[in-house]
Amino acid sequence: MDNIENQIFSSYERNPILYDEIYKKKGQIKKVYKKLFELYGKHSIQDYVNLNAKAKSSFFNQGITFQVYNDKDTQEKIFPFDLFPRIIAPDEWEIIEKGAIQRSKALNLFLWDIYHDKNIIREGIVPMELISTSENYLDQMVGIDPPGGIYNHISGTDIIKHNDGKYYVLEDNIRCPSGVSYVICNRTALKRALFGVFNHYKTYSVTNYAENLLDLLETTKPKGVDVPVSVVITPGMFNSAFYEHSYLAKTMGVELVEGRDLFVENDFVYMKTIKGPIKVDIIYRRIDDQFIDPLEFKPDSTLGVPGLFAAYKKGNVTLANAPGTGVADDKAVYTYMPQIIKYYLNEEPILNNVHTYHCSRPDELKYVLEHIHELVIKPVDEAGGYGISIGNRLTKAEIETVKKQITESPRKYVAQPIMSLSVHPTYIDESESFEQRHVDLRTFTILGKDKEFVLKGGLTRVALQKGNLIVNSSQGGGSKDTWVLKG
Amino acid sequence: MSLEYSIVYKAENNYQNWVEQAHWQFLIIPEVNNNQEFVNIDFSNSVGATNQFSINGYGFKTIRVHPKQKFKNISFEATFRLIKKEVNPFDFNPSADIEQSYQKLNELNFKVDFEAFLKTTHFTRIPQAQKSMFDFEKDISIFENLQNLNHFVFNYLRFKTNVTDVKTTLDEIIVERQGVCQDFTHLFCAVARKNDIPARYVSGYLHQGNGYFGDSQMHAWAEAYIPKIGWVGFDPTNNLLANTNHIKVAHGKDYTDCSPLKGVVYTTGTNETSHTVQVLSQQQQ
Repeated sequence: MDNIENQIFSSYERNPILYDEIYKKKGQIKKVYKKLFELYGKHSIQDYVNLNAKAKSSFFNQGITFQVYNDKDTQEKIFPFDLFPRIIAPDEWEIIEKGAIQRSKALNLFLWDIYHDKNIIREGIVPMELISTSENYLDQMVGIDPPGGIYNHISGTDIIKHNDGKYYVLEDNIRCPSGVSYVICNRTALKRALFGVFNHYKTYSVTNYAENLLDLLETTKPKGVDVPVSVVITPGMFNSAFYEHSYLAKTMGVELVEGRDLFVENDFVYMKTIKGPIKVDIIYRRIDDQFIDPLEFKPDSTLGVPGLFAAYKKGNVTLANAPGTGVADDKAVYTYMPQIIKYYLNEEPILNNVHTYHCSRPDELKYVLEHIHELVIKPVDEAGGYGISIGNRLTKAEIETVKKQITESPRKYVAQPIMSLSVHPTYIDESESFEQRHVDLRTFTILGKDKEFVLKGGLTRVALQKGNLIVNSSQGGGSKDTWVLKG
Repeated sequence: MSLEYSIVYKAENNYQNWVEQAHWQFLIIPEVNNNQEFVNIDFSNSVGATNQFSINGYGFKTIRVHPKQKFKNISFEATFRLIKKEVNPFDFNPSADIEQSYQKLNELNFKVDFEAFLKTTHFTRIPQAQKSMFDFEKDISIFENLQNLNHFVFNYLRFKTNVTDVKTTLDEIIVERQGVCQDFTHLFCAVARKNDIPARYVSGYLHQGNGYFGDSQMHAWAEAYIPKIGWVGFDPTNNLLANTNHIKVAHGKDYTDCSPLKGVVYTTGTNETSHTVQVLSQQQQ
């Protein structure tokens, strides 16, 4: 065994049931990880403890923190960072990148359609309920042509590797996906702690995200604008992603504004400056739809800009992402992604969708009720992991309750096979050793007019608690630097 | 023959403390349509702020006001003059092809075309217990059913001001059985949609010379879509079909889409607001 000679991995327990990304089936280290394994093995665990502390302080020093409100006293915390990077080989990355672009493009066409002719519904490919019961479908967007034809400029696609070794998409985030600043900061932190390891791998840089973002946003500038002025609008410094908002504005070289810094006059948007008003053409907004304009949406919101939507409707300003994109990242839409991709692009999906059973269909309902112990049951309209039942963790009594709920209102539920996320060696403070932890990957795709970009890298999120499958930072998740190797 | 109307809308706001910043958006301009022709519009505010004309998310004309200096009171006055053509609510044959009309309602394309006005909204949700409070009879025409519904709502609710407000939902209205034009209209729309008829909330002005219910505020009524006929206006508050006395401003899924005045006002303390509407008519040759 390779790990006998490697002291920091000497106590690494490889559970053969789980798909470990650094091992081949028979227990040998995969080729791409060999060098890394060797380099890390030269350090002692004590070195590691020190390096880990150093990396942590690097985050504090850069100010990359988030706040936890529900504790008794508000604390500045860092998103835990793991020093052992994840490597994605060129052939695998090609699949991910092509798949992410395919999904983003299909979603963009879907959004255009449901806000214009609604052909996909008329042809019976997806049910009308996808829009008529969606809180995120904005009637105000019907008939509006977004500048450059783009709705989802920025998409965050959450991908996992299942124990069959294949990539599956769990979610498409196309409202205001966050996390890209961590991708870049993770790289910086790892370079500061272990610069030498980068000499042995040809890894794509991740620092070109902001320039590509600005470049592609500018391709969707309003008609008649020559050199567009762009801004990033944030809900403010108390928002948990404020660091990212300021980071993106800084690295794009544009102003970071709050709602009160902008105003609308005769359906044009202006920014207040000490030199007088400056017209704004492109707004990368990190404020949710309902808060962007109190005169059109939530009237008691002070985060947005009164009159902004009217300016948008007139085509005088670009909003990225467009209002109303949220309808396409509903769970119910996800389940139709294979059909959506086929309908608009006439292509087979490159990345797998987790198979979804619609309890509203009698034959599928029957299957769900019979196989409930091997399925995850999800309510269609709840976000953030609420109301999810994992079949193999339910007691007999709980199973009966869930069955009753599904039978009573089958439309409200979908079911999916229980996915097993791949694991990756992760340094664990408490045991002072490497252990297997589940990981996922969020990729960042940008769509511009006839142009697209996928950040070669991504945010690998780690579920730090043993056996936990939930990788969200609010649930105590951490992250890893993610290397995409050059071919 | 047609009528010339002049409508005067006034709003006055008094604040206990200085208002440092404020934005208002008025949705009060009569719509231009087949039977409403515009003559003139005049809008002013007491603080001399610019009045900006714009279009809201649903395509209706708005006026926005954003004063540049602080104030304690502000008033707005709008005068609209328009020509309203004689409306004959019975200019169609309601009983043609009864069966075909009902079939149309079940067609997917029809449901997609009218999706916005068929769906249940916050203000048009009928409580479970009253789901079948009014079911259409399939052997009479859609129009006759809607007339019966108009009559039903008129009788079901008692017109009473100050018992409901802009936040009251059908849960309360159906139990208390009283309210104002807005509540009558929400109930009408809710039941029509329940029976697969596209229905929309209409806000506007009512010429009250004939002693109709309404008040000295803006009025609300409903429009329902009947296959082969089109949108027909029903005023359940008065048990009437919308006619020459109804001057339309905007329509939407419910009150939320049509609220005449939206504002964001940064101030502390209390405030007093009052609105008045006056509709005058003059017959034209």
